[in-house]
Amino acid sequence: MGLYRAILYRLMLAVITLWLLSVIVFAGCQILPGDVGRAILGPFADARAVAALNHQLGVDRPLLAQYWSWITGMLRGNMGMSYTYRAPVAPFIGHALVNSLKLAGIAFVLVVPLGILGGVVAALKVNTWIDRTIVIAGLSATVVPEFVSGIVFIMVFSIWLRVFPLTATPPANAGVFTQIYYLLMPSIPLFMILFGYIARMARAGMIEALTSDYTRTAVLKGLSYRQVIWRHVLRNALLPTITVIATQCGYLIGGLVVVETLFNYHGIGSLIFAAAKAKDFPMLAAGILVIGVVYVGANLIADLLYSALNPRISFGGRE
Amino acid sequence: MSKRDQLISQIRRNLSEVENDLMDNALAGRVDRRGFLAHGTRLGLSLPLLGTLAGAMGMGGVRPARAAGPSGGTLRVAMTMPAGAIDPVTIADDGGLMMAMQTAEYLCTLNPDYTLKPVLATSWSPNTDGTVWTFKIRQGVKFTNGQPMNADAVIASVERLVNPKNGSNALSAFAGVLSPGHSQKIDDYTVAFHLDAANGNFPYVLSSDNYNLVILPANYTGGFEQSFIGTGPFKLEKYIPKTGASFVRNDDYWGPKALLDRTEFTFYADMQPQVLALQGGQVDMLAQMPVFEGRAIIDNPQFNIISCKSSAHEQVHMQCDAGPFKDKRVRQALALSINRAALVRGLFQGHADVGNDSPFCKAFPSTDLSVPQREQDLKKARALLEQAGVGGGFSVTLTTEQFLEIPDYAVLIQAFAKKIGIDINLHIESQDAYYGKAVPGQSDWLDVPLGITDYGNRGVPNVFLNAPLTSKGTWNAARFHNPTYDGLVADYVKALDLTGQRAVSGKIEELLLDETPIIFGYFYNYIYATSKAVSGLPAIGDRPFLQTVSISQS
Repeated sequence: MGLYRAILYRLMLAVITLWLLSVIVFAGCQILPGDVGRAILGPFADARAVAALNHQLGVDRPLLAQYWSWITGMLRGNMGMSYTYRAPVAPFIGHALVNSLKLAGIAFVLVVPLGILGGVVAALKVNTWIDRTIVIAGLSATVVPEFVSGIVFIMVFSIWLRVFPLTATPPANAGVFTQIYYLLMPSIPLFMILFGYIARMARAGMIEALTSDYTRTAVLKGLSYRQVIWRHVLRNALLPTITVIATQCGYLIGGLVVVETLFNYHGIGSLIFAAAKAKDFPMLAAGILVIGVVYVGANLIADLLYSALNPRISFGGRE
Repeated sequence: MSKRDQLISQIRRNLSEVENDLMDNALAGRVDRRGFLAHGTRLGLSLPLLGTLAGAMGMGGVRPARAAGPSGGTLRVAMTMPAGAIDPVTIADDGGLMMAMQTAEYLCTLNPDYTLKPVLATSWSPNTDGTVWTFKIRQGVKFTNGQPMNADAVIASVERLVNPKNGSNALSAFAGVLSPGHSQKIDDYTVAFHLDAANGNFPYVLSSDNYNLVILPANYTGGFEQSFIGTGPFKLEKYIPKTGASFVRNDDYWGPKALLDRTEFTFYADMQPQVLALQGGQVDMLAQMPVFEGRAIIDNPQFNIISCKSSAHEQVHMQCDAGPFKDKRVRQALALSINRAALVRGLFQGHADVGNDSPFCKAFPSTDLSVPQREQDLKKARALLEQAGVGGGFSVTLTTEQFLEIPDYAVLIQAFAKKIGIDINLHIESQDAYYGKAVPGQSDWLDVPLGITDYGNRGVPNVFLNAPLTSKGTWNAARFHNPTYDGLVADYVKALDLTGQRAVSGKIEELLLDETPIIFGYFYNYIYATSKAVSGLPAIGDRPFLQTVSISQS
């Protein structure tokens, strides 16, 4: 019962968070210089034309009226019409979200097991050359920006060796494996950025757990090494890592503007970036809310995992 | 009388006064072949006739059309993503324009040498004072949906853009030139345009120069993206917003059929991945490549680089009515501090022409080339500052936009100015912040004492002469108010013949050199890059017409 109440409570919080987010995005759009008509027609257009276009789009109405019609539409499941594309927002968001989830999924599947494995191995071999190699390589990879590593990969693998395609967008109607093939190279820069981070968190957690009293107790009571690591150390050591991974989900879904641009991939990051530049509020708000939902969802899952792994934490909290 | 002279005088008898003025200029050697053709087509003379005349006058005939390449195949083009819905009425970006012009056509288009090529109009001519221009419309042309292209379609297409209620991006191009309701149907294939004021360059306002003016059916009310309706050499196969588009040859096209079977466009959010895509063989052509973003391939012999002369430039304006640049000697000094040849080399690897602080670039036939070119002269610049009472130098902020090579240009100006003691602080902001609301008081562009603003290619200097420089100009960031200049520009716009235009253009160039409200440092070329398999792309900047393009299949 406590668990369901906790989830409900978290969901309510999430709704309030998302609503606040929509208010902030709307306010932000108003603060940005220029207006929608000007953004579409450019600086050299006649002021009368800009006014006429703003009127057609309805962005010359009072701010409250604009926000009200948007939020009521949203509550009825209508994401609204894009100002710049003059078409419903939902298909754009849906398409971009699916793309983003694919790319994030592949990066996630690569980096989470390998990052944790790297951290665990480093901790078990702490202060040896293996540990140093993993830590230094992870750290070095993290500080290389995506646009540098991405271009290097493109130059080497797509232009010189021609083993990987230049773009992340597969041909229409491509099968699963073709899609994965197209997404592999773009996910490597993401892997590089996240690997060091996750590995270091896992390593620190492991070292702390290995030196803790309960580990010593477990060893002293005669459990095998394998049993100690699996049953006692890992469960405790990975808790902070899970939180870190959950917080990176928002980035993996919505923060990949650079990688998406470089590999010409139509994900949600570049969608909202373009929408922000064009002051396309319905598109921007819908995109940000979708990322918000993913982020909140990922954190909720992380919390549940946390409690599953750590019996000391339980929802409802009166025990 | 030689045979040549007989031919010329025979033709001249049928020409109007204005047309004969052009002939006088040509015979006296005051206009070269290029200028002769440019002005002749503007006056509505056909290119074959002009070619005959040019040949008779020893200018060399019109070059024969390039030998047609192999037909068939698909051309894959990388281009910058359209900024929004493809609606010819509102498009204001290269990407959107690139899409619309694949299927829709103009009345006339710019040729590489700034002459006009008749497309959906077959000819045009002014009345004696240039206040009424009559256009003959091509017969037998149908839209892709079967509707006829005629005077009604032309008038509706123009009225749609002239009407201030439609949010049309071309409204500023028509302001003061053509008002709503002034396009008159003479018959099904003849339209007369009654202008607000005499205008010698009006055909350019109805050409591809005014890129919103593609001819659409009379009953068009929007939704171009669904049909890509037009009369052009290609028709829509598929359009996916934010992703790409493909077109196939229109076999019912009224003119020479396209050589390619298909074209395939992929949209990119940025330039660098496009260059990489060409290098990686994923596309055959880049629809546009600014020099500074194409350094990786511009000198690479593996690719064709098509460099098109243009009148596109950046204007460095200095506020003339207050602040440090109120004294024209200070403005002259800053202009004299700049090494223009170094700009052309450094910023464009030579793919640009130096500017002479007026909108008259070498590409325009009406430019008076006898006006001496301003060169870097630091000694004179320092002396001018001394005379103006600021010999000890001063400090000022240069505000500009993050766009193309402009930030680099700003840094170079800063370095040049330092040599004469002017200390420039740079403030480089986003385009949104720089242009703001685009009205004085709400726009850095129009409010700062020193700024750099980008201007795209135009076939005639009219827009450059008016909006940024005349007293009533809406883009007058320099706050330049000079009645003599306003009068000269009015004379230039009215002038129907080359003699008249050149008489004024020299005076305008000299006046602007003296007053220097704006530094025109260079006019840069537009660049297309293609693989070696591609041929036949005409060198028309910013308007890659693909009808004559072919690709070899190997």
